[in-house]
Amino acid sequence: MKFSYNQIRDLVEGLETAPEALKGLITMKTAECEGIEQIGEHLARVCAARVVSVEPIAGTHNVKASVETGRYGERTVVCGAPNCRAGMVTAYVPAGTRLGAATIDKRTVNGVESDGMLASGAELGLNRDAEGVLELDVEPGSPIPGCEPDATIEIDNKSLTHRPDLWGHHGMAREVAAITGNRLKDPVNPRRIPAGEAVVKIEIPDFTLCPRYSALVFENVTVKASPLWLQYRLTAMGLNPINNIVDATNYLMAMLAQPMHAFDRDKLTGDTIRARPARPGERIQALNGEWYELAPADLVIADGAGPVAVAGVIGGMDSAISGSTARIVFESANFQAAGVRRTSARLKLRTDASIRFEKSQDPANTIRALAMAVELLEQVSPGIRLVGGLADAYRPKPAPAPISLPLGWLDRKLGRHIEEAEVTSILESLEFGVSRQTPGVLSVTVPSWRATKDVSLKDDLVEEVGRIIGYGSIPPAPPMVAARVPAANRERAFQHEVRAMLAARGYTEVYNYSFIGGEAARRFGYEPGALVEVANPIASDQSLLRPSLLPGIWKNVVENARNFESFRLFEIGLEIHPANAGADLPRQVSHLAVCSAARQEASPAAALFELKRAAECLMPGAQVRPVEPKCYEHPVRAAVVDWHGETVGRLFELHPSMVESGRAAVLDIDLEAMERARPAMKRYQPIRRYPSSAFDLSVVAELRELVGGIEQKLARLAGEPLEAIEFVRQYSGPPLPAGKKSVSFRLTVAAADGTLSSEEVGAIRGRIIDGMQQSGYELRI
Amino acid sequence: MIEQTFERLESRSRERIAAAMSREELEAVRVDVLGRKGELARISKEMGSLTAEERARVGKLLNGAKQGLEAALEARKAEFDRAALAARLDAEWVDLTLPATGAPRGSLHPITIIQSEIEDLFVSMGFTVLDGPEVETEYNNFDALNIPPDHPARDMQDTFWLKSGQLLRTHTSPVQVRGMQKLGPPLRMIAPGRVFRNEEVDASHEHTFYQLEGMMVDREVSVGNLIYFMKTLLSSIFRKDVTVRLRPGYFPFVEPGFELDIECLICGGAGCPVCKQSGWVELLPCGLVQPNVLRMSGIDPEEWNGFAFGLGLTRLAMMRYAIDDIRLLQGGDLRFLHQF
Repeated sequence: MKFSYNQIRDLVEGLETAPEALKGLITMKTAECEGIEQIGEHLARVCAARVVSVEPIAGTHNVKASVETGRYGERTVVCGAPNCRAGMVTAYVPAGTRLGAATIDKRTVNGVESDGMLASGAELGLNRDAEGVLELDVEPGSPIPGCEPDATIEIDNKSLTHRPDLWGHHGMAREVAAITGNRLKDPVNPRRIPAGEAVVKIEIPDFTLCPRYSALVFENVTVKASPLWLQYRLTAMGLNPINNIVDATNYLMAMLAQPMHAFDRDKLTGDTIRARPARPGERIQALNGEWYELAPADLVIADGAGPVAVAGVIGGMDSAISGSTARIVFESANFQAAGVRRTSARLKLRTDASIRFEKSQDPANTIRALAMAVELLEQVSPGIRLVGGLADAYRPKPAPAPISLPLGWLDRKLGRHIEEAEVTSILESLEFGVSRQTPGVLSVTVPSWRATKDVSLKDDLVEEVGRIIGYGSIPPAPPMVAARVPAANRERAFQHEVRAMLAARGYTEVYNYSFIGGEAARRFGYEPGALVEVANPIASDQSLLRPSLLPGIWKNVVENARNFESFRLFEIGLEIHPANAGADLPRQVSHLAVCSAARQEASPAAALFELKRAAECLMPGAQVRPVEPKCYEHPVRAAVVDWHGETVGRLFELHPSMVESGRAAVLDIDLEAMERARPAMKRYQPIRRYPSSAFDLSVVAELRELVGGIEQKLARLAGEPLEAIEFVRQYSGPPLPAGKKSVSFRLTVAAADGTLSSEEVGAIRGRIIDGMQQSGYELRI
Repeated sequence: MIEQTFERLESRSRERIAAAMSREELEAVRVDVLGRKGELARISKEMGSLTAEERARVGKLLNGAKQGLEAALEARKAEFDRAALAARLDAEWVDLTLPATGAPRGSLHPITIIQSEIEDLFVSMGFTVLDGPEVETEYNNFDALNIPPDHPARDMQDTFWLKSGQLLRTHTSPVQVRGMQKLGPPLRMIAPGRVFRNEEVDASHEHTFYQLEGMMVDREVSVGNLIYFMKTLLSSIFRKDVTVRLRPGYFPFVEPGFELDIECLICGGAGCPVCKQSGWVELLPCGLVQPNVLRMSGIDPEEWNGFAFGLGLTRLAMMRYAIDDIRLLQGGDLRFLHQF
């Protein structure tokens, strides 16, 4: 929302605060100012001038004009405007004036030295008329009436979401007056509402959708350009001047936050205006030229023939003001915020009117705006006449109950004491009604423009007082509360441990997006239709929520391979799967993905074994069990990770077809499963007091027989006395037959209550060898 | 007479010991002097012809010479050992400027680092850390935070909707709702996490970013308390006393609501491109909890009140590390991530 500084100054008596300082004050006490734009700075130098004489310049359309400027004496300028003629009063811009990006210099045109220029409204930034130089009706030397340098203050719309009143200058001026301690002027003279019978009838079947509809009818209308001051003011407010009638509606809206609409009376059918739901199949061509299909959820303004406006959003083309308009119906209505918002969203049409109505405007404002319209229209369309009295339909609403404001409570809420007199004065400056209910408690009446949605609780008054005293005046203080120990979040603490451990082992943490596309989903074996889908994705390849961290990790592998020979990374994030039956929300599971990638590995499957070690460090005692590969896994390098009887994840190499050169091993762990499997408490094992004995055994096995399996067999045979079994090495080649390997283990055995004799150790060893041989293994002893 | 013989023998032997250049030469000296057929052994054999009195005297001299020479031999031998050790160790020279082995250091994501620090800080002040889902219900994300359907405040956050009717949370504030329901009053909680807004991505806008929600509900919680926590938080993050200011801001779930700005750390408040010449950087929305929000979560606002804030973790990380492109944070480029 853009505010004209001059307009605010016109409404605040004696305002001396400069725009820049005002910007700071408004930001700190009311709403966020985004910036200030100086406009019309050149107008301080421009003045009216009478053209004394005009001489044509041969061979050009230009003329040499002598002008009496009053303020700058007599000057000679070259002018190309078709309306430049002796005797007229126009605008003179002296040399040396900056006009937009350019500076007007004294320069020679067509052999004539031009000392300054005569200017059109467009050149001066007053309107968009570039047809000819301005035609003025003032004495030479005087400034252009109502056109002084101004500043546009832009306020962030988001910070006005709750303030229907701040969508007009009068509301903002009220704030400025309260902040600066000046008096607010009311631009409305309510006595201008005419008495008498209205000449149009209003019908409102549902006052919930349209709490109030007021209108006046005017005749003897002249549609033409607005006076310069109005055009310029609208420009400073960020609005485009169109014609006097439309400009009047826009100016009133910008002043009072009340959207208005003017219908051409002679294009309306009948004399009844209805604010009713649209009928199925109704459509309307709006002022923007577009056709809109309406639905019964949309409220329309209809005449005897059909919809003439979409209520609170936009007017219809058929009844629009045109050059031939002679009579107008001036609408000033109030519509339900939610309804306007729904229609505006459905039609994808946000207008200055809908933006205001969706903030819950004040129904009492409709007639204030009409009262002001009467005065304004007299100015901009001389000769205009009211026809009949006010048409006004509404359902009277009881005034909201006053709010009790206990002053002690207010102090405690803010954390600072404020005197009763100051509280009263602040609230009164914002036009709240204040009286003392009981000692220490104020009774506060909310003005109608703040009562629609904004202020209804005593908490809302905390803000009113707090922002005007300034939050900077509140001293920071720790709260006086019981020193309760916060509940621990074990899952999160555990995730932080995992992160720290992986970072210490050389892995770098990445964050990937939660979105993936259909192609990536398929590549990882997911049917896109079976995943959670975004209705309004940012791009078609980001329309699904990730059911796995792996597509992101894969992308990291491909991209980082361009810069690094080898690298390690990990991510902790949520997998998102469709909801289980009966659950509200999709299943969201914390996962850990760790990856080690290298163009060239130092030893075969080095990355896989590195990740296996990482898994063991995270989960002491975890077992890796080879399984059938998934479609994105290396066909013979895939396993699951088991821990305390729970399968917690997978360890694999990405399928080589997915890695351009080199290999990438991945560990994918379900952190929730891991957390479930994690033993609750550790318990110390006493250190053995008697020495143990060790011996080596080498078992000959098929090349692809799992070492882990052989180890388990040996351990089972060793039984109770086995303290440890450790893989030593494996070997294949002569003298072993082809297809065989020899695997060596070191077994450590011991007794709980003493030292084993060499005979006892020998017996254990013999039992193991016998057992293995019975299972068909050959042992190299 | 015999004394002189010993003296000569001893001094000659000491010279030979000193002159020996290897353990072998030293061994030859030992054999010549102390060996079974060495000079001292020969003298010892001749002692049989001496009187008992002389034998005692010569024996003493003999022992003295033997011990003296043995010690000299040992000492010389130790010298050789030391030299040999020194030579062996010298051969083990390595160039310590060669690169280290093993995996190079990994690193944590900058947001993780900041988030952990803040978690620790708030836990030390009695706050519980809560988690919430990234996919949320419309109710928790909006309605329960006093943002009913058709409320214009819904425009303040462009929402990713799911085909199932749920949404990706637009802020961490729904965890307030979950926290109030789970913990009940009094409570102190924070909830860091990933949030989503349907926005075009450029150097300063992301559709995925991180927030840290905070909430305190107790008997008496004031704006002054809120300012205290926010100042403590920011001074801890930036490791210096930061200047903050509170100004009105509208968020339907707080009343009064504030925007908290900190004095620009880049220019110190003088004005620079980072703070858009204003000297202040908008950092976090906060406020006292709106009574309806408490009521909707079953807490009586006449008995309890509180504050809430939503810290932009992403913004904070960018400020602390002077990161000028938000896209780097989720780009997965290790050239960037290695730096933390």
